[in-house]
Amino acid sequence: MKRVLLGALGAIALTATAAVAEYPEKEIQGIIQWGAGGSTDTVMRSVTPHAEEALGGTIVMQNMTGAVGAIALNHVAGSDADGYTLLMGAENPMLYKIMGLGEKDYTAFTPISILARGTPMLVANNDAPFDTYSEMMDYIKANPGTVRFGSTGPGGLPSVITAMIETVEGGLDVIAVPYDGDGPALTGLQGGAIDVMPAVLGAAIEGIRAGNMKPLAVFDTAASDKLPDVPAVVDANDGYNTYLPWGPFFGVFVPKGTPEDVVAKLSAAYAEGAKNPEFIELMEGRGFTLMGISGDEAEAFLSKWQQGTAWLLQDAGLTKMSPEEFGIARPGE
Amino acid sequence: MGSLMDFLTVFTQPQLLALVGVGTFAGVYVGAIPGLSVTMAVSILISFTFSWDVYPAISLMIGIYMGGVYGGSRTAILLNIPGAPSAIATALDGYPMAKRGEAGTAIGVTTVMSFIGGFIGIGVLALAAPMVSDFALRFQPRDYMLLAILGILLVGSLSQGSLVKGIFAGALGIAIGAVGRDPLTFTERFTFDLQLMEGGISFIAVMIGMFGVSEALLQLHHVDKAAVRQKISRVVPSIATVKKHLPLSVQTSTIGVVIGALPGTGGDIAALMAYDHAKRVTKDPERPFGEGAMEGLVAPETANNAAVGGAFIPMMTLGIPGDAVTAIMIGALFIHGLNPGPMLMIDKPDMFWFIVGCLVMANFFMLLFGLTGIRLFTKIVEMPRSVLIPLIMLLSIVGAYAVNNSVSDVYWMLGFGVFGYFMRHYGYPLGPVILGVILSRLLDDNWRRAIITEREDLGLFFKGVFASPLSTVLLVAVILIFVSQTPIWARAKAKLLNRKERVQ
Repeated sequence: MKRVLLGALGAIALTATAAVAEYPEKEIQGIIQWGAGGSTDTVMRSVTPHAEEALGGTIVMQNMTGAVGAIALNHVAGSDADGYTLLMGAENPMLYKIMGLGEKDYTAFTPISILARGTPMLVANNDAPFDTYSEMMDYIKANPGTVRFGSTGPGGLPSVITAMIETVEGGLDVIAVPYDGDGPALTGLQGGAIDVMPAVLGAAIEGIRAGNMKPLAVFDTAASDKLPDVPAVVDANDGYNTYLPWGPFFGVFVPKGTPEDVVAKLSAAYAEGAKNPEFIELMEGRGFTLMGISGDEAEAFLSKWQQGTAWLLQDAGLTKMSPEEFGIARPGE
Repeated sequence: MGSLMDFLTVFTQPQLLALVGVGTFAGVYVGAIPGLSVTMAVSILISFTFSWDVYPAISLMIGIYMGGVYGGSRTAILLNIPGAPSAIATALDGYPMAKRGEAGTAIGVTTVMSFIGGFIGIGVLALAAPMVSDFALRFQPRDYMLLAILGILLVGSLSQGSLVKGIFAGALGIAIGAVGRDPLTFTERFTFDLQLMEGGISFIAVMIGMFGVSEALLQLHHVDKAAVRQKISRVVPSIATVKKHLPLSVQTSTIGVVIGALPGTGGDIAALMAYDHAKRVTKDPERPFGEGAMEGLVAPETANNAAVGGAFIPMMTLGIPGDAVTAIMIGALFIHGLNPGPMLMIDKPDMFWFIVGCLVMANFFMLLFGLTGIRLFTKIVEMPRSVLIPLIMLLSIVGAYAVNNSVSDVYWMLGFGVFGYFMRHYGYPLGPVILGVILSRLLDDNWRRAIITEREDLGLFFKGVFASPLSTVLLVAVILIFVSQTPIWARAKAKLLNRKERVQ
């Protein structure tokens, strides 16, 4: 009896010290904001096993979809700030407030790692009557209201890119056909349901390589080394320099208030995981720009991204509420 | 020659063979439990097989996929609870058979027919993939919309008894499917400003509740009645039976492959359309549909397994997923360092033939695991109701929770269960509700896409329809099927037949 008691006491003592000394002492939950098979999902599922190794713990990933990711965001925001629930998401929550989609964004979170950034580009159906960005703009001006652009709803990448074109070129009279994601929209593009799609380079690259769609321009300050023959949009109009580089990003977050040492451990683990050569090869093969930033640098990146994008959408008249109401300052102010 | 070697890879490596087998076995049981879906199993496997080579990982996933699509029929036949959406049509005639003590026969036929359907799907994938994917790409938003309307007309075949009640049920389903934030514009619909409603109502929760819980509640009426004794003398259907249904199974498999190959539609819609087709072409079934017609099992089961091969067609040729499972497999290939897309067949033709080989193997394993253990399974129906009813409830709750790991889905499920019970009580069919939920988004999204594309001009829209042969054919099919369900048609037919007789 005495021995059992001692044993039990010993066990309690052990777990107690472990709790103080060692994070993680149990499974960590990783909530992926988007569905299985999507780009956020693939990125997170390919980096996390490497981060687990560096962390020495288990991260169980789970997809929680719905309401453009707001359900997952609210779930993690409402969980304990103890580092056992991670949010694995993309850029769009930064626009929830101005789009009237929710009251929370990443400002309620501490970034663990902003892993990578994607490069947007314009692709067109092979039969479209234009081959370059400038020809497209001329065609749209000559035939207003006929060219069909794919879109993925307010706040999605296509809406930001079209807002950018409108701001720089002044007016863009096209038909926006809504799709629930760039995958289905690119399928529609190949079938001729739409003419032009602003998409992330990684999603379009294989279709371009096979000649199933034609690239018009890369939305970056320089051509991508993945598609060296496709000109950067700044070559056609240097007005884009104000807004570029811009791109969707992927990041891992914990609720604000998570102990600093836990944040530091997780950040170090993901920084280590993102250095894995296999992961790097995978990301570069899809044309993603690796970032791997955390801490103040990540916070600064997030707020700059939010300011630029929010005001761009506001000026294009696409927002529900002004960024001003949420204290999002105009860039440069 | 090289492709033959790649095709045979899986047969020559015992380890891969074993993985396909294990996958298929697990798939049959994952598929049989409502709520545990193949989609979920495959996405968990992505993390699980992360450090493996790509061949073993794909072998396991394909096994689960093939087994899971088939497994959904088990609970549909035995308990009237479809294990997966693609088995909804199977329950319509499978469960009446089990109630007559023919569960063994029903499972046997289902297994053999799934096997045949699976092979037709794989055959088309192997021989005509580029052709079929070209055809699938030609579907425009308006064609998807017409396809959805065609699907909604199935209400007629799914509602036994009153058509009016069937239409009501179908409309309810469409409304349920529209709840939540609209995925195209993010506007809230029918959410009443409740956060709970924002994400929409889980379709799986509705299905489990309506079929599972309502069944359990209904069984409560007969708690004391003895269970039906099951005859299990003949499990494997005779050659004559298979031969008799072969023409139908080829037709329904074709439906399965095409619907499976279309991005955005999958085995669930394929199975329902095949069921409807069977009902239309079978002149005199041995038993009426809905009371245990063999054709009612053959059609959906060949179609949903043929849809597996179909779903791989756009995935392998274009990198476009044919359904939710292939979407995840594309992610898996990507994680394993391949570039799934139109170049995959050119860069890595070995992958294509390897997948075809795995599918063939999985199909054989499915036949094997399907035909063994039937005796054990049929015992489930022979269990006393006091055990069976709590078991159904338990399965339903676990299943509803597992979809999104969310307790609110369990509440939805229970709510729809009680609602479904009353619907049955007053003679409203449940099939059309599920049909409505499945087709709601397909119809709504594509109608909006189609009309936005035509600058919101209905004239231009119809001009577009008649300019495309595909759309015209679909529209004509919609009109014909619609007219054939109205009393005018029956009267016209009677008149025509009369006249013919008089002439003779």
